[in-house]
Amino acid sequence: MVDFSLTGADERILQAAREEAVIGHRHARYYDKHEDELPPSVFPEVADKQSPHDLALELKDQTSGPAIIDVLLHLEESYADTRLRRTRTGLGQMIVNYAGTPEQIALFGRKELSIALTEPGAGSDPAAIRGTATRDAQTGEWILNGEKIYCSGFGGADGVLVLVRGPAENGVRPFMAFVVEKGAPGLKMLGQVKKMGIRSWDTEDFVLQDCRVPEFNRIDADFKKTMIVFNGTRPMVAAFGLGVARALLDFAREKLGERGIALRYESGSALRSATQDRLLRLEALYDAALLTILRCKWLEDRDGRHSGATKVEASMAKAIGGKAARRISQECLDLLGPLALSEDFLAEKWFRDARIFDIFEGAGEINRLIVARWLLGYSARELA
Amino acid sequence: MISFELSEEQRVAQATIGAFARSVLRPAAREADQSSRVDPATLQAIWSTEIIQAQAIEGDATTGRSPVMNALLLEELAAADATLALAAAVPMAFVQAIADQGSRRQRELLLPLFAGDRFTAAAIALMEPQFQFDVTALATSAERSGDGYLLRGRKSLVPLAGDCSHFLVVAQSDGAADAFIIPRDTAGVRVDAAKGTLGLRGLAMADVEFDGVLVPATMRLGEHNGCDVQRIVDAARTGIAAILTGMSRGVLEYCVPYLKERVVHGVPLARKQVIAFRLADMHIEVEAMRWMSWRAASELESKRPATRSAQLAYTYAATQAMSIADEGVQAFGGHGFVRAHPIEMWYRNARSLSVLEGVGGI
Repeated sequence: MVDFSLTGADERILQAAREEAVIGHRHARYYDKHEDELPPSVFPEVADKQSPHDLALELKDQTSGPAIIDVLLHLEESYADTRLRRTRTGLGQMIVNYAGTPEQIALFGRKELSIALTEPGAGSDPAAIRGTATRDAQTGEWILNGEKIYCSGFGGADGVLVLVRGPAENGVRPFMAFVVEKGAPGLKMLGQVKKMGIRSWDTEDFVLQDCRVPEFNRIDADFKKTMIVFNGTRPMVAAFGLGVARALLDFAREKLGERGIALRYESGSALRSATQDRLLRLEALYDAALLTILRCKWLEDRDGRHSGATKVEASMAKAIGGKAARRISQECLDLLGPLALSEDFLAEKWFRDARIFDIFEGAGEINRLIVARWLLGYSARELA
Repeated sequence: MISFELSEEQRVAQATIGAFARSVLRPAAREADQSSRVDPATLQAIWSTEIIQAQAIEGDATTGRSPVMNALLLEELAAADATLALAAAVPMAFVQAIADQGSRRQRELLLPLFAGDRFTAAAIALMEPQFQFDVTALATSAERSGDGYLLRGRKSLVPLAGDCSHFLVVAQSDGAADAFIIPRDTAGVRVDAAKGTLGLRGLAMADVEFDGVLVPATMRLGEHNGCDVQRIVDAARTGIAAILTGMSRGVLEYCVPYLKERVVHGVPLARKQVIAFRLADMHIEVEAMRWMSWRAASELESKRPATRSAQLAYTYAATQAMSIADEGVQAFGGHGFVRAHPIEMWYRNARSLSVLEGVGGI
């Protein structure tokens, strides 16, 4: 039955997360200013408290669905700004867990592994990846070379799953995936990336210089298999973007409210001021994006996370979520006026933070390509 | 519990009405626009779907009227033609208002009129001939007079006005909006000739003058309990949102095959990113519009407050639908501007639909 109301358990879980937002906001400026400092894996204020994620696990039969409650929780955590508990699940590990052998899952499945695709010359077009893997016939080891950038979570992770190109077969160098653990010879960390926003978001660059890994570290994940992880994470990252957008919307509503400007949903557009009208439209855009994300996650609960069935919906969620984060953050600052530029408030930070969400985890253009190819029945060659 | 699951019954109804709309309504659409009227055979075909009569059936959402079902079906009708979808939604809105908010006596008096075999028109008369009209600032008034009310004012853009047996007139009364059931042949009611409109021309929208009409208290909607006018507005906004969703989907579905066929500079237009991305955006927005209208409809269905979600669904759909129709015209180039294709009609319909209030309930 079509329904958009939260269950009692949903409410309880989200309320638990919302109550922590005030703590997150308290630390937000510090980590914005100290970007080389990784936040603790658990903040002392919540060390003794049950994580809302654990509560969700406990109440899982009473929620709207595991993927739905998970994405709503991540939205709340993004709203809180500072992550009070570090998520221990990296994308690399997710891939190992669906593509690895039982032995690989046993060894790597519990380690925190990031994923590294992007290179200085290869972002939205992974075909341009130049990192290489060659096999040392004598030792059976793989020798990895390349430069990987913008690797989320790698600073605090145990290792990384890298996607590089293997030895040529029939003139084509296939994509190959390897786990590289911290401390591997030839892995050189280049430090935290200096960004406009989301400065507390652990982001590392690194170099692989004749980095040797055993055959055991090779994960049976080609390009397509690797990409499956994004079906789940794209709507998730869209929800992160909406978390930031809602932080700005709430701030704008509060500050405009203090100036006597409130929204009335009863009247038509003729009786709304320009400010009220813009705010209302931003709310509508927020909801449009949120419902698109929820639809995708509802499908994921129904059809399975790694079935690949939600690829198009995931791209739609990311495309509209990224757009919403951009537009809402830009317009809220405009509505708030010059005072919002001040570092006395977090609005200017959220404005900087929001911009990434239409870029990473698939830029808006890439997601539109995916939707358009599906809509038009075109292959990647027909619509490049 | 958050769910987007349609029941088997909903899916069957959706498919049936979709097929009906494609085979019967789409071919009748241009003629309705040209002649500024919907021919009786088409109205009768719409009536025979029983979507309007269903609004009078009491019961819960599975046995009686269901706003979510209405959202599904209005989208299907509008994907073929928005004007003809509204031809259904206009009497639907009237019947729903009576069924939901009428007194027992009013329900017994009026609902049987909409249970017969012939198309029966009745409309909510809300909008007024005023630039920057707003639903919360009505000039039409109903002053208490003896046991009843004296109704004065002018309503505009009343759809199917010439065919209506009744109007539900929303007027300012005792400092708040209220609604009154007015049989068309009441003394003081004058239905003007339709003057023609930018779009939705088949609906022959006309002004209706209420020149000191005496209304007995028994014809105040809900009688002594009165009614919730906001609920009527919410349902209308949700209905328009569903129709705009269908209309936009119709534009997209019409664009796709043409743009795959049309070759420009050696390549089909659809293979150019600038075009393909617009189509992707159209699809993304149509889906978002749909979820927003479903949400408002489900809140109406479960009798929860729906004012916010209806407003957001309506405003969002209005903006997106105008943009989608606009991009549709652009994608067709000159063909989008000539009347040999329906695109120019949909462009006019999009602008018309997206500014209307109080027509077509859900």
